[in-house]
Amino acid sequence: MSQSETPVIELKNVNKHFGDLHVLQDVSLSVKKGEVVVIIGPSGSGKSTLCRTINRLETIDSGEILIEGEPVPQEGRKLAELRSRIGMVFQSFNLFAHMSILDNLTLAPVDVLKIPRKEAREEAMKLLERVGVADQAKKVPAQLSGGQQQRAAIARALAMHPKAMLFDEPTSALDPEMIGEVLSVMTELASEGMTMLIVTHEMNFARQVADRVIFMDGGKIIEENTPDAFFEHPASERAQNFLKTIRDH
Amino acid sequence: MSIQALLTEYGDKYLQALLTTWRLTVISFAAAFLIGIVITVLRVCPIRPLRMFGDFYVQIFRNIPGAALLILLVYALPYLQIIFPYDACVLIATILIPSAFCSEHLMSGMNTISPGQIEAARALGLTFFQMIRRIIIPQALRSTVLPMTNLLVATMLTTSLASQVPMRPRDLTGLVSYINTRAAGGVAAFVISAALYCATALVIGAVGSLIDRKVRILR
Amino acid sequence: MTQTSIRDMLYESPGPKAKKRIRFFTGLALILLAALLALVIRQFAVTGQFAEKYWSFFARFTTWRFLGEGLLTTLEAALTGSAIAFILGFLLMRGKLRRNRILRAVSTALIEFTRGVPTLLFIYFFFLVVPKTGWKPSAFWKITLPCAISACGVVAEALRSGVNAVPRGQTEAALSLGLTETRLFYKVVFPQAFRFVIPSLIAELVIVLKDTTFAYIVTCADLMQNAKVLISNYDAMLSVYLVVAVIYILINYLLNKISDRLALKLRRTAAEGSKA
Repeated sequence: MSQSETPVIELKNVNKHFGDLHVLQDVSLSVKKGEVVVIIGPSGSGKSTLCRTINRLETIDSGEILIEGEPVPQEGRKLAELRSRIGMVFQSFNLFAHMSILDNLTLAPVDVLKIPRKEAREEAMKLLERVGVADQAKKVPAQLSGGQQQRAAIARALAMHPKAMLFDEPTSALDPEMIGEVLSVMTELASEGMTMLIVTHEMNFARQVADRVIFMDGGKIIEENTPDAFFEHPASERAQNFLKTIRDH
Repeated sequence: MSIQALLTEYGDKYLQALLTTWRLTVISFAAAFLIGIVITVLRVCPIRPLRMFGDFYVQIFRNIPGAALLILLVYALPYLQIIFPYDACVLIATILIPSAFCSEHLMSGMNTISPGQIEAARALGLTFFQMIRRIIIPQALRSTVLPMTNLLVATMLTTSLASQVPMRPRDLTGLVSYINTRAAGGVAAFVISAALYCATALVIGAVGSLIDRKVRILR
Repeated sequence: MTQTSIRDMLYESPGPKAKKRIRFFTGLALILLAALLALVIRQFAVTGQFAEKYWSFFARFTTWRFLGEGLLTTLEAALTGSAIAFILGFLLMRGKLRRNRILRAVSTALIEFTRGVPTLLFIYFFFLVVPKTGWKPSAFWKITLPCAISACGVVAEALRSGVNAVPRGQTEAALSLGLTETRLFYKVVFPQAFRFVIPSLIAELVIVLKDTTFAYIVTCADLMQNAKVLISNYDAMLSVYLVVAVIYILINYLLNKISDRLALKLRRTAAEGSKA
């Protein structure tokens, strides 16, 4: 049973500086298989940076990051291979502008996983169906709404059959009326047992899908709890203040 | 002299001159494009001295007047015991100058790509070269069709430098000054050359915008 | 945050192996570039081009005054040529944006014509044909006018793209206020368009300045022509042409820098404007 106990994502005493700014201070956290962990906190708290260190889009100064028990490689093919196993969804979608939505989904499966093109296309269409943008498959990203683009971006990440998914503020760049459609795709994904680490400002969503909520401020993890416990009785003063400002809005 | 009289007397010379201009243009542009790519690779690579060299190269050849460069090549370099034939001097000048502009266009073409796309490519597990091949190059090339079309026309105009050295066969500009110093070619001699230049430029421009409309990236 | 350019994004932060590789190739590149420089210096030394007689006259004030006079003529020709190109370009742009079909066709044809013909051809026209018509312009105009004509089509297109960049909503708003189309153009559209195109106008100045180096054809005493005089006085071909080339490069570099700066500033204000 030891294998199932190895966390999918594990951070140990991670530190990072941007110049003089200590953006991650001794951060440790782990995400088990099938777990949905939501990170919240004020902007500038380091939550986004934390998310991006996991597949080394940001480097760290000290500490350790383990994926399924193995340290994240620092470069080369091994790093690329690890990244291919971790899906990532960005705030600004980042779909490839010169490709159709369908080609966006098949690029990495064909080039990286060496899946035959035809198979990759069929799978991609199924995924697009699932996130509800199959009818947009032939269009290029700029022809889609933000919400559609983000759903396609989620599908693109899923096409790699990731072991875990990272969401870096996936709804922050969206118009309010489009946030729901993206969150519902994520909710569905969570209910299917996907391992997820989500950085978000959507508190209701966090409360609904999270197995665990992590509150960050000033580069540190301040609190870690079940969503109900956290939102009903935040232990720290900072979390109390944060939740208060959010509710006042 | 009328255009007709000129064409009967110098018709084959004009044809030869047109072909010479075309040949210089094609060779120069092709070589400039290749060098432009190499220089651009240097300018974005993580090795600082090479970056600086690439920037330096571009600033030199982007800013030097064609005449000054040609004169250096033809008259000054022999004092360093570096001697090229006339047509080589012309080609060197008409390659080096457009190559700097080519690199500038490629750089701005790459800058139209949002950094987020590079992160997305990385996050999907693409290797560096896969990312370059599938994301960077296609987008950079597709967004530089129009600048490159203009560069091709500019290269053609630059090849008129050939008229400044005794090069045979003459190019379209060289032929005009030849005809005018020999006979009273007058306005007509200019009109024919100008028309041939213009027609070439228009065809290049038309093909360029046709390609651009096909491959333009919606943003 | 500062603007991240593709230059800094293309390669990710290096791991230990990549760091080693970068260090190695940085060293290698430095050695190669130093070797290249050494080769150039050696060639100068071997051919005796470092000899004092080739360089000592650059220590004299008169040399620089003479080059300065030439440079002044060059700048005068470039600025005058650009000004004329601006006026011609403006007229062509107005013509191309007119409803009158003939005017539009003529303007378009002239723009394409001046853009598709090399400056040298215009210079030879003023050098060889114009004097035979009885009109005998001075050497200065024989170089300035063809450079201006050669540039005016490009200026016209730059101005036109500037005019097209002015948001439609503004013209509609102004028209609804009862402005005539001409007043609208001069009061609302053109001032904004002009701001947009200042960088490309400076870039055009660089092109005109480069074209004026052909002044030796019409024996106008510009920088290049005065350099020739120096050369025959001191028998110093390489040193003089090198110095002159560097002068041209520095001036054009400076102008391009200014143009780039202004373009960046314009883009920033435009971005802020769209955000607000």
